[in-house]
Amino acid sequence: MLAVFKRELKSYFTTPIGYIFMGVFLFISGIFFSLMNLLQNDGNYVNVLNTIVFIFLFLVPILTMRTLSEEKKNKTEQLLLTSPLRIWDIVFGKFLASSVLFLITLIVTLIYPLIIKFNGYVAPTEVLCTYVGFFLMGCSFIAVGTFISSLTENQISSAIATFGALLILWIMEWITQNVQSGVKSGVIFALILTALIVLIINSTVKNPYFTGIAGAIGLIIVFSVYFIKKSFFEGFIANFLGWMSVLTRFDSFSGGVLDISSVVYYISFIFVFLFLTVKSIDKKRWS
Amino acid sequence: MIKALNLTKTYGNHVAIKDVNFQIDKGEIVGFLGPNGAGKTTTLNIITGYLSPSQGSVEIDGLDIIENSSAVKKKIGYLPDVPPLYMDMTVGEYLEFVYNIKKADPSVKERAINEIIETVKISDVKNRLIKNLSKGYRQRVGIAQALVGNPEILILDEPTSGLDPVQIIEIRNLIKSIGENRTVFLSSHILSEIEAVCNRIIIINKGEIVASGTPKELRSRIEGNRKLQLKIKSDKSIIDDILKISGVKNVSIIDNLKPEEIEPDTIDITIESEKGKDIREDVFMLAAQKRRPILMMAEQKFDLEDIFIQVTGKEENKRN
Repeated sequence: MLAVFKRELKSYFTTPIGYIFMGVFLFISGIFFSLMNLLQNDGNYVNVLNTIVFIFLFLVPILTMRTLSEEKKNKTEQLLLTSPLRIWDIVFGKFLASSVLFLITLIVTLIYPLIIKFNGYVAPTEVLCTYVGFFLMGCSFIAVGTFISSLTENQISSAIATFGALLILWIMEWITQNVQSGVKSGVIFALILTALIVLIINSTVKNPYFTGIAGAIGLIIVFSVYFIKKSFFEGFIANFLGWMSVLTRFDSFSGGVLDISSVVYYISFIFVFLFLTVKSIDKKRWS
Repeated sequence: MIKALNLTKTYGNHVAIKDVNFQIDKGEIVGFLGPNGAGKTTTLNIITGYLSPSQGSVEIDGLDIIENSSAVKKKIGYLPDVPPLYMDMTVGEYLEFVYNIKKADPSVKERAINEIIETVKISDVKNRLIKNLSKGYRQRVGIAQALVGNPEILILDEPTSGLDPVQIIEIRNLIKSIGENRTVFLSSHILSEIEAVCNRIIIINKGEIVASGTPKELRSRIEGNRKLQLKIKSDKSIIDDILKISGVKNVSIIDNLKPEEIEPDTIDITIESEKGKDIREDVFMLAAQKRRPILMMAEQKFDLEDIFIQVTGKEENKRN
């Protein structure tokens, strides 16, 4: 795992990608810091981090587009997969390298709140919490990008698909505010969700009995909730999407609260996508 | 050492390999021969655990490649058809990376890597980026990569493809020398290469194994009648005498010789004899007795080319 991590992190700096990522990130965050803090004589640094979240939309695809797709294209994947490494080691090593590059970039931006501190007051816990949230959110996006790069051997399609996926995560908040929220649509949505989960289970375990049992349990849960507490489905779609929204979760951090449930949410989000990555690599051996 | 049991791999409707069975013992150098697209690479990818078979299993030293993948993969060094090189690394860095992911003993890392670099003769490019290397050197680095961690089994997929003749000979000698204390399984679609290096051959065609054995065994398998070619200082009358030798089935005069091969007062004939019967001594004694000097006597041997064409061609006819 460590070997893959080291190689990957180093390769960010032997190719232009690492420099592009860091350069653009620092440039844009610098612009917003100057505009919002320096020129306004404003000490509210958290606002800057809140505003530059959009940066992930186009920088994460650059960071992760070649992670696994290039291995496939150059056939170096064969080396990794025929070595004693587990697929999990490979995927996690690569994810970690992207995250660490991101972390290094973030550490450089710590200079901004320090500048404010020398000239005025900065709320340390708020800034720190926002940084934690910002980092976790970035890592979540990186996990999505890592997963998508495992699906294709073309860097460009990997980058564009990642951009699309992040855009959907991005507008999730906006979708949430505009969805139907009747009981009936809530139940239908819950059923679709159950079907999706059953499908994922089926593709991982490939055992019809197990899938059948999982499906039955899902249906029982949906219907028993329907008969016991109908109101649960009122606004279920909005609640669910809101709960799932990567961006909404970030809000709690910028308030200066280290919300454990949000931390757990982000970590689970990352692991789900890394797990999917491992599965997608493993599945290709069988197809 | 390597045991392939009923390996089958299908891609959708396409059957890449079908019921492939073979066994390779410790210390053997086995050649895996077949035309392009016969399923060589697929088979090797399954043996090394890169692909999973649709059916069947692979055992290395009695351990299943899928169930005990980490333990088994440590024993194998694999050079795929395209050497798996990272273009942005130097040769030294790359080999160190491979050493780490193969989880070899870290305490002797430097020495082990240097030994490999010496063996495959790439010390002069150690500090160069792989993307700047020529194809021959890249292939060598690929072989070096397979040697890292001192695996007992080496699996090489077309190790000499795309190299120039001098490089091919060098790589062959290299394979011979590293195969002295290892089990080697190498694929190729070039016969002479396999014959030069291997002591046993497995032939695959259209996803099925069609023949296997030592070059000698394969030869004797397809050899029907033995043929002897002679140049005798005599007239045609000797043919009748030769026909009297026991075991001789047919004698024919060769009349399509090139002008420079024809000598005055001699005849060129081909003698066909029964399978397994050596008539060379009888022919010699007969000619001596008749005082007809034999100027040349040569046994026509089937080379592997014939075997190859015969076994792969047979398959073709069966299918059509």
